[in-house]
Amino acid sequence: MAELQSVNHSAICVHDLQQAIDFYCGVLGAREASATDFVTEDVIKGRSLHRSIIIEDYLIALMLARDFMPMPPDEQLRGTHGFRHAFGVPRDRFKNLMAVFKQNGVAYEGPVEHHAHGPFGESIYVKDPSGNFLEFLWRRDEGVRYDGVTGVGEG
Amino acid sequence: MAGVSGFSHLVVDVTDLDRSEAFYRDVLGLEILGRGFLNDERPNSTLAFNTHHRIVLIQVPDKVEPFRPNSSSIHHALMMNADQFDRAEERLRGLGYKIGDNRAQFRAVGDRNIDIFDPDGHRYQLQTYNPNARAFEPENVGEVVCGNVKDYKVGDVKAFVAGKFFVVRRAEGFFALSRWCTHRKGLLAWKPDHWCFYCPMHGVTYDRKGENTSYFHDVPPMSAHPLSIAADGTITVRPDELIERESFDESQLVAVPC
Ligand code: FES
Repeated sequence: MAELQSVNHSAICVHDLQQAIDFYCGVLGAREASATDFVTEDVIKGRSLHRSIIIEDYLIALMLARDFMPMPPDEQLRGTHGFRHAFGVPRDRFKNLMAVFKQNGVAYEGPVEHHAHGPFGESIYVKDPSGNFLEFLWRRDEGVRYDGVTGVGEG
Repeated sequence: MAGVSGFSHLVVDVTDLDRSEAFYRDVLGLEILGRGFLNDERPNSTLAFNTHHRIVLIQVPDKVEPFRPNSSSIHHALMMNADQFDRAEERLRGLGYKIGDNRAQFRAVGDRNIDIFDPDGHRYQLQTYNPNARAFEPENVGEVVCGNVKDYKVGDVKAFVAGKFFVVRRAEGFFALSRWCTHRKGLLAWKPDHWCFYCPMHGVTYDRKGENTSYFHDVPPMSAHPLSIAADGTITVRPDELIERESFDESQLVAVPC
């Protein structure tokens, strides 16, 4: 047993909040969770400007970057900025996901098949409009029952 | 639709796989599943949470930059249950970590957090929600006089500090609502420009009926306190008594005596 249950949320930076929402909600199917409310004193209190989205069991706070973040080269689709988020897709929906990316003009690299002795099946790699690297994969252990993830806002 | 089923794993660049593997196991408490699962020529190790979430460490040849240049606030929150959190505190203290939370003032009662950096500077927050975080603790202030019905227009909301409640004037009458968020224990603020109660902790909002209008669908309405109106129009609230509600209905309002 591990001493930790799940990764609950992350904060990442983007250049354009609306563009990010269009991508995460419009293409990936996330729902919008919250936005900084400018009329509040939040900003003065040190809260950053952000909108957050929920993808199933995960929340990403999309924070406005302080300044323009250098972009990876256009042709680079697989990479990290120190880290990368990977999201699961049921194996039987994996082809459909690639079709959705194609329809929406989202370039991807892959699929890349991982070694059969591990839990990872095949991955594809994309970037969000601000150049953050993302990965989508099906997993060989998708039928295994683990502890349930406490979703954002539950628990 | 994309059909994403949820989070799978976080890929993390590290400079020294042995050192980081030891940190994620011994300090954070993850379980090592094995090495070399990824189709990637660089050394990599997969560690498990108790759920299907994973962290994959990849040893990179260059210096690790945990943040993109010009970004800020980058972090990842790792969720524990309350017992695991107690053990983590003990473990970290034993290992000589200073345990601090620089955003404690933004957290609800019962939200606990430890900020911690891995050997390459990746920032994590270890978090838990205290199961007692919803318990109501009366302030024992007795009866609070809240002015006269004449002091309120329809739609008015007044906040009271002693006893932590609001008095709300609706067209059909008055009621008193607790300032404690029913999600966990954040203190609500009334936002006159947005006609809503707002919790700065996780962003739940409620309308003037005290009903949840936010994306946290399971959060019940704000709780109420007994309110009475004397013949001369004086309003009195007893905030030491809590009335939990499932929904709003007009019978919860106290009509203005004619
Ligand atoms: S305590 Fe979570 S929104 Fe209020």
